[in-house]
Amino acid sequence: MLPRLIVQLPALLSLLLGFRAHELPRPSSVWFEAEFFYHVLHWTPIPNQSESTYYEVELLRYGVEPIYWNPIRSCSQTLVLSCDLTMQTLDLYHSNGYRARVRAVDGGQHSNWTSPNTRFSVDEVTLTVAGVKLEVHDGIIFGVIQLPRPKMAPAGDTYESIFHNFREYEIEVRKVPGRYKSHDKIKHENFNLPVPRGVGEFCVRVKPSVSSRVNKEVWSKEECIVLTPQYFTVTNLSIFFTFVLLLCGALAFFLALQLYVQRRGKLPTVLVFKKPSPFSLISQLSCPETQDTIHPLDEQAFPKVSPELRNSELHGSTDSGFSSAKPSLQTDEPQFHLPAPHPQAGGTLGKGAPRLPEDSCSSGGSKSTDSGICLQEPSLSPGTEPSWEPQAGSDSRDQLDSGIGLVQNPEGQPEDVQGGSALGPVSPLGPEVAAGEDPAAGAFQGYLKQTRCPEERAAEAGGLEEESSSTDGLGPKFKTCVDAEVDWPLPALAKGYLKQDPPEMTLTPSGAPAGQWNPPTEDWSLLGLTRCGDLGASDWSFAHDLAPLDCVAAPGGLLGSFDSDLVALPLISSLHSSE
Amino acid sequence: MQAQGVSLCLLGVMLFLCSVHARGLRRCLISMDMRRMEESFRGIKNAIQAKDTFQNVTILSTSETLHSIKPLDVCCVTKNLLAFYVDRVFKDHQELSPQILRRISSIANSFLHMQKSLQRCQEQRLCHCRQEATNATRIIHDNYHQLEVRSAAIKSLGELDVLLAWIDKNHQGTSAA
Repeated sequence: MLPRLIVQLPALLSLLLGFRAHELPRPSSVWFEAEFFYHVLHWTPIPNQSESTYYEVELLRYGVEPIYWNPIRSCSQTLVLSCDLTMQTLDLYHSNGYRARVRAVDGGQHSNWTSPNTRFSVDEVTLTVAGVKLEVHDGIIFGVIQLPRPKMAPAGDTYESIFHNFREYEIEVRKVPGRYKSHDKIKHENFNLPVPRGVGEFCVRVKPSVSSRVNKEVWSKEECIVLTPQYFTVTNLSIFFTFVLLLCGALAFFLALQLYVQRRGKLPTVLVFKKPSPFSLISQLSCPETQDTIHPLDEQAFPKVSPELRNSELHGSTDSGFSSAKPSLQTDEPQFHLPAPHPQAGGTLGKGAPRLPEDSCSSGGSKSTDSGICLQEPSLSPGTEPSWEPQAGSDSRDQLDSGIGLVQNPEGQPEDVQGGSALGPVSPLGPEVAAGEDPAAGAFQGYLKQTRCPEERAAEAGGLEEESSSTDGLGPKFKTCVDAEVDWPLPALAKGYLKQDPPEMTLTPSGAPAGQWNPPTEDWSLLGLTRCGDLGASDWSFAHDLAPLDCVAAPGGLLGSFDSDLVALPLISSLHSSE
Repeated sequence: MQAQGVSLCLLGVMLFLCSVHARGLRRCLISMDMRRMEESFRGIKNAIQAKDTFQNVTILSTSETLHSIKPLDVCCVTKNLLAFYVDRVFKDHQELSPQILRRISSIANSFLHMQKSLQRCQEQRLCHCRQEATNATRIIHDNYHQLEVRSAAIKSLGELDVLLAWIDKNHQGTSAA
């Protein structure tokens, strides 16, 4: 019995010694952590390892002859717990995989081998991307997914070639410091994201996948981009310049419109009064008449106005500016009485008012500007202004008067004159003037133009202005007109004068009762007279311009000269318009 | 007129020959959801391959068999391998874990579906087995028989990823992702 134990004792001792040679424990686990062409073998250290402990790694290509374990010397380093096996596994994506094993070695001792549980194949590779490149254009984030491009990868082995089909990418976006929000899965490496409201920092991360594979997927590192308010973008600049162009266009349009309107409103040349020329001044200086004069008209020189015209609508036409209906010249309205000009009239009619040459009104030598209202001596206008006053002398005024004729009141009472206060100073002149008038000259054509000289006209204008301001607004303001024209041509409509032709002439107003010549209504006459009186100094200046014409009796042209002066007197234009 | 007739005849003959040749080259494609099988295998891969202790031995021997298979033999080899797994591997493996057994059953059912698709190709005479295909199938059977049945079955189940990758590669274009 004892000899058996002595013989078995060495065997037992040898077994114990051999067992102790493998005392080193083996690594508890070994595994691969791999990404695209980055294959790293990891293992856990053995317990109680020393500083001299190192690990041996061996690798096997599965199913490829010759089948043998290839030791990896580069991995046998002390205290190293991982090893990059990329270079030894470059054909991983075209083979059935690799088997690896690791053991610990310390001194003369080594442990058992430990292998990963699974065969290392392409299914073990974790899919990821290298990064994301972000750009912002017009409020949209443009992203480009950068696929891994490892340097160890053989030529031709790219991510796209190995995973040729069914590549997908999941995108998440967050606004710092918020959380990530999932975006749609895309199937391309390019994507664009609409920028959420507001500006700030936005971060994007991407997770790749292959729909035909079950590989693990991991998110990439986030890529952030800061959005700042873009004021000078192409869109904003284009909108700004478009707005500027539209504004300039609108301004140009309105400017052109303004110019066009101004041009339209420009006075016709015929109505543009010339500036006083030296000749006019000379002629004015040579004007013999230094005071207003009333020239009695020669009745025979003027054709009688047909009775129809007396009540014609011409008198009450609205063309002259009166809105009233056809006025009757034979109404009982107060008539206007304008006494004959008297030298003592003073400023009412101007300094030249008193003297009234007989032919001042009848002759064509009247050279004064005509304001539209002809002041006539009673003797001159017996047949012209019958209705101006309810007098017995109305029968002498059977001739129609196209204008306003002032019939001297025999009594010369200013109260009989409408608005006689304005004509108060004038009224006393009536009887005196009437004495020297020619009754046959009562009929007159149209308006009588009163000769004026520049300084007197100015004074008279000033006096008239005072009158106009002092009256109640109803007083007619007469201006003595000198009309020496026998045959007055029909004035133009726009020139303000109405010429009332004698019965044999073409004047045939409608609706006018025969034999009647109603005096103009108060409104009509007032307006016209007022209009004449309102001319003021400027109007007298016009008269200055026409002084040479006024001083020279130009047959047929006198009225023309009138017309240019009477551009501001619209009341008579209506009479012409009816013609 | 005669020239046109001659050209038309030649065109017809060429078309006929091309159709005959194309019929021979026509592949028997399998429409299968490979991803589903791959997901099932991924669930059992860790457990099955961990039990494979014979790491330096391979049954499918891809370098000698699968990698050398020509397109004309793909249908025959695919048909033989599917039959091998269904008739031998799945039956020889004794699995105790129900989760693993469920996944293995899913894979087996997918293999049965593929066998039916290949049977239609065989009826159309598109799955002719040549000698090269027969030799490859015989090598695989020999490798399987060299190991103990349980180890062989474990190893064959562990190599399903190799078989699925080969089927996906050779039947690409019809397999659904």
